[in-house]
Amino acid sequence: MKRNLRYLALFAVLTLVLAACGDGEGGDTTTTAGGDTTTSAAAEPTTTAGGDTTTSAAGETSTTAAAAPDGTGRTVGMAFDVGGRGDLSFNDLAAAAWDNAIAEYGITGNELAPDAGGENREENLRLLAEAGMEMIVANGFAFAQNVWRVGTEFPDTLFAITDDCPQDDTFTVVEMPNVRCMLFSEEQGSFLMGVAAALKSTSGTVGFIGGVETPLILKFQAGFEAGVAAANPDITILPAVYLTQVPDFTGFNDPVKGKEAALALFGQGADVIFHAAGGSGLGLFQAADEQSTDDTHLWAIGVDADQYNSVPDDALKEHILTSMLKRVDVAVDKAIVDFLNDAFTPGETRLGLAEGGIGYATSGGFIDDITGDLDGYAQQIIDGEIEVPTEPGA
Amino acid sequence: MTALADRYRQAGRRTRIVVIALVAILVMTIAEVITGTSDLTSRSTASAALRLAIPILLAGLGGLYSERSGVVNIGLEGMMIAGTWFAAWGAWMFGPWEGVLLGIAGGAIFGLLHALATVTFNVDHIVSGVAINILGLGAMRFLSSIVYTGETGGSVIQSPPVGGISNVDLPILAGGNLFGWDTPDFFGWLENLELFFISDVAGIIRGFTGGVNWLTLIGLALVPLTAWLLWRTPWGLRLRSCGEDPWAAESLGVRVLRMKYYGVVISGVLSGLAGAFLVLVQAGIYREGMTGGRGFIGLGALIFGNWLPAGVLGGSLVFGFGDSLRFRGPEVVRSFILAVAIGLIVYGIYSFTRTKIRAATIQTVIGAAFLLYYLQVEEVSNQLLAALPYVITLLVLAAASQHLRMPAADGARYAKGEAR
Repeated sequence: MKRNLRYLALFAVLTLVLAACGDGEGGDTTTTAGGDTTTSAAAEPTTTAGGDTTTSAAGETSTTAAAAPDGTGRTVGMAFDVGGRGDLSFNDLAAAAWDNAIAEYGITGNELAPDAGGENREENLRLLAEAGMEMIVANGFAFAQNVWRVGTEFPDTLFAITDDCPQDDTFTVVEMPNVRCMLFSEEQGSFLMGVAAALKSTSGTVGFIGGVETPLILKFQAGFEAGVAAANPDITILPAVYLTQVPDFTGFNDPVKGKEAALALFGQGADVIFHAAGGSGLGLFQAADEQSTDDTHLWAIGVDADQYNSVPDDALKEHILTSMLKRVDVAVDKAIVDFLNDAFTPGETRLGLAEGGIGYATSGGFIDDITGDLDGYAQQIIDGEIEVPTEPGA
Repeated sequence: MTALADRYRQAGRRTRIVVIALVAILVMTIAEVITGTSDLTSRSTASAALRLAIPILLAGLGGLYSERSGVVNIGLEGMMIAGTWFAAWGAWMFGPWEGVLLGIAGGAIFGLLHALATVTFNVDHIVSGVAINILGLGAMRFLSSIVYTGETGGSVIQSPPVGGISNVDLPILAGGNLFGWDTPDFFGWLENLELFFISDVAGIIRGFTGGVNWLTLIGLALVPLTAWLLWRTPWGLRLRSCGEDPWAAESLGVRVLRMKYYGVVISGVLSGLAGAFLVLVQAGIYREGMTGGRGFIGLGALIFGNWLPAGVLGGSLVFGFGDSLRFRGPEVVRSFILAVAIGLIVYGIYSFTRTKIRAATIQTVIGAAFLLYYLQVEEVSNQLLAALPYVITLLVLAAASQHLRMPAADGARYAKGEAR
């Protein structure tokens, strides 16, 4: 028995070591984060327009800052959400802004990514705060409660959280003097995607796939359906499909279910489908490619980043009509610049079409003929002539 | 009616399963006619259900081998994760079928690890299983950061796209090609006749036989193979005896430790195959977290199926069918709820003829509740849609009133030569 225990201990240690290796990804990249080593995959999603021209992430974001502030000697920590660098989505966008701040403004800082289950988000925030970071970016709505707790413990540290505001133990939103929440008007961009879908549909039927049914994703659905109805009220919108329900968040990362849902919607006659399902969207692109025939060309609409540039397979690009851009990089850059200029304001900041935080992609040139319509609607939204609902069925 | 019920009671188990399946389809057909939808028994619903069910089936069968040999295996998820990663790597480096083999090997390695911990070192089976799941995630991410990062289309969380395994139409049944001869599409023809009930049955069979993947066929073939192997061969008897009473088995000369190793490694092999199916048939890519708890659902299907191969198949089809319906919108689910109501009431009447008054009452009341819900609610809520497979599972378990019996020594600590 004793001998067995010894082996058991060895086994346990090996397990821990290997598991730790896996999590170490975030830490590993810290050393490379400073320079120009951002992979092309990370830089590509920030390309907003212009077909195949690849604007570098650094170039894009620095244009938003009028005069590059001096960040020498200032520290900004970056807490990624599950997925971390290389997710080809919101983490890579935040990373692009942060890398740019390091390269252009001269800030220094640490980055951390949680393990796959995300259990150590709070620990990561605390580690960054204890390391003396003056400002910490918490990249994801899942940090809402963690930011409340750690932000209360470290009142002198500034926090910027993406997609949500800090919440206390009872999930009540709390206003904190040292926390900025970076929100987006996703419904505005989704509205434009609805317009594009309505104008490009030949079958007269469109669909929507959401990853997990949360208030955030319902905003996408609401905006999309409103946009379709505004552009062409005769179009049939199939009932929205959600891949999973809270608290099962696997719907954001399940291309298999994404594909089956898309096959079902295409089977019911849809020829344009918009997704807000994170990694599951890949399944939609594949379904569009598989189900297209010589007579019918099926379209998918991407989300967050310009997915025309980030899909792994060139054959899929032919089916990505456009993507709704959510410029997490712009918001993060703004937070860093405000901090460096001593202009950091707590509370909500909301980026929409007017602020350039929401947009659409034109890569591939599939919507070149309707950009006039889209920009027209965008202007009406900016001017307040169209008020986009944030809840479906409103 | 009573005469028919008597005939049914006297029939063999196989006949009963067929009868139950046919009655279920008949009930769904009636519900379709009432609600005016057609997707409940359509070809596309059936084939999607099958595709969604296969990974769950394979994981469940894996769990069957392991638990029949007496080792509780909640590490199926971790083994499946290893299967997805290695299948993608193999397919990317060599080709799809090499991917299948490597996926199997990846799962088998983790199975071996679980066997080493539980059988040789007598670690608590649950603890080791949890460790396997954590290790699976962490180790695969570690490998991704070494292998996939920087490759075209690859990153730390996903592999480059990989080629898949092709689909086939079965000859004669679904118009497939047999040695260059285009066979007639029998069930497709039957489905297109649009006859009440007959075409619905044909549609489901057509969905199961047309455009199916080679790996799907292998997965389905594993069900009778497993039943034969475990219940018709001396090897299977030995394996099962280790799960029922390893001490008695040992006294009769069975090499218990070796049999347990077989069981657990085979469960790794099958979980790895499930992972390979996800990557090579369905997604065409490895993506971190893509297993999405299917290993655990496989475990659920195993319990649902009372640790029997055909039961595991039934359980996994329930989960696959539930998701397949859900993706087809609330209208279809609403008609399915009507079908459940009719089915339960019919079952209640059947129970009544057997003078099982209590069971009959419960079934009829639940059936009436479903009927009421159907009549009252215009649109089924998304939350209920998602809970559907689990509700079906609970209902089947409750309604069938089958006494589940796990292997008697499942999860027991066993050391060679020790008294119990």
